[in-house]
Amino acid sequence: MLLSRLQRASRSALRTYATVAEASGVKVAGFEGGSPPATTSITVVVKGGARYESKPGVAHVLKNFAFKSTAGGSALKTARETELYGGVLSSALSREHLYLTAQFLRGDEAHFLELLASVLSSTHYYPHEYAELVLPSIESETLASLASPSTLALDLAHSIAFRRGLGNSLYASPHSPVSAADVKAYAQQAYAKSNIAVLGGGISTDNLAKAVQSAFGGSSSGGSSLSGSTSTYYGGEQRVPLDVHATPGAQPTLIIAFGSAGEAKPELKVLPHLLGGQSSIKWTPGTSPLALIADKVPGSSIKATLYPYSDASLLAVQISAPTSEAVGTLAKEAVQAIKAAGSAKAEEVKKAIAQAKFAEATKFEYSDLFLQTAGPALFSGSIPAPDSSFASLDKVTASALTKSATELFKAKPTVVAVGDLGVLPYADELGF
Amino acid sequence: MAVGGALGYSLAPILKSRYAGIAKLLKPVANLYASAAGWRKMGLKYDDLIPEESDEVQRALSRLSPRESYDRVFRHRIAFQQSILHKPLPKDQWLPVSEDKRYLTQLIKNVEAEVKEREEWDSLIVERKKGH
Repeated sequence: MLLSRLQRASRSALRTYATVAEASGVKVAGFEGGSPPATTSITVVVKGGARYESKPGVAHVLKNFAFKSTAGGSALKTARETELYGGVLSSALSREHLYLTAQFLRGDEAHFLELLASVLSSTHYYPHEYAELVLPSIESETLASLASPSTLALDLAHSIAFRRGLGNSLYASPHSPVSAADVKAYAQQAYAKSNIAVLGGGISTDNLAKAVQSAFGGSSSGGSSLSGSTSTYYGGEQRVPLDVHATPGAQPTLIIAFGSAGEAKPELKVLPHLLGGQSSIKWTPGTSPLALIADKVPGSSIKATLYPYSDASLLAVQISAPTSEAVGTLAKEAVQAIKAAGSAKAEEVKKAIAQAKFAEATKFEYSDLFLQTAGPALFSGSIPAPDSSFASLDKVTASALTKSATELFKAKPTVVAVGDLGVLPYADELGF
Repeated sequence: MAVGGALGYSLAPILKSRYAGIAKLLKPVANLYASAAGWRKMGLKYDDLIPEESDEVQRALSRLSPRESYDRVFRHRIAFQQSILHKPLPKDQWLPVSEDKRYLTQLIKNVEAEVKEREEWDSLIVERKKGH
């Protein structure tokens, strides 16, 4: 009996969620749900996020330059043809990756893969297109990020925590202009074949590999890929004045973050669930410490989130409240709760592990989380099943959690305050 | 909109492509005409004379590089001044034939092609493929 259990364990450890094939030098994986879905989505995952950029903001510009005129036709042609096919084209940028996605009706993969291939290999990067089509969208995205306290605070928290590399802002800034030639040079490096992978949803790996082979076959741009420096955690403080009345819905925000180098350990994955913040049940704050604190001020929210990256991770506790005074008092209480997380009881740890497992298991069910999880995994050659981390999560004990929590909180915290600076507390007033 | 687009009609492309011999014969006459017309004596390039009061040309002008745009305005100012004085520039300041390049024509053609493409897509009739 013991033997059979062992075998089962080893099989589940080996099992991967989707097979990864290689087509014309590009790693390819397709996910097919149980019943054949009506749509297919294909995403080109490019290892060329903000982290690798050669000039501040160039990755953001490259993201918005996607689907502009190529050797295959103008931006207008791309847009109109996509409308006729009933597809959706989108591009997204994260700190480590750039995602170019096409969603379309099943059966149109040949057309859309050709389109994606031409975007990668033959976008013209015309200066006039940059000025007329790309720059306005970049400008509005940057302004929107500056007007949203939570986006701004998170971006600043990363730059304070990691400085360069992972600390690079996701948004281009007017202070460091990027030219069309800069984007072209960056694209040539970022879109090298060794730097991209293709992820499909609603299509089998075999079919996707065949389609990729025929679409990407011609372009054999080996090229040198981008390389970033390894991340180091620094920590520090940043305070930004913001007139929260100027933007409706904007709340003063304070972020307390702790970073650590290396890939996120299972203890670190459990920690945000131990701190909690957001209730999983309706009409009650739940029992997590941060949620109980947030419940004291109506309209406020506190949430702990782990931002995992390939060689570092950031645990951020974000506090927002209707007034800066409330943010200040909540932040002081939140710091006490964070400190107490190291000495959590065994049953609390158990609860947090269960929630962490649920979060891991549902990762593949939301398209954005799916991209963030499966995309990077594709480069390593295998995509693990959503339940593959369960075994390591189960092994997390209260003492191991205490150890990694004290280690994490020993380093200098990253504190970003956005709001009324006359009221918001400084980092050393929070009581670390 | 001007007849024949912002650039107007020209027989030159037809002559060049179909009747290369005649085009070659007419070339010295054309050169003579160009210097007699006198824009080079005012320090202007031929493309400075294209009427800019149309959306297409305005868009093409916005696509000039900052340097080209500055030089264009500079040439215009000199030409205006000479026009006020009712005399051409001193001969050593005339625009050399080698510098009389069509820096704007291609941009206008690109803009016109874009407008035409948009019109085509706007009036597109979609037909179902056979067998679908």
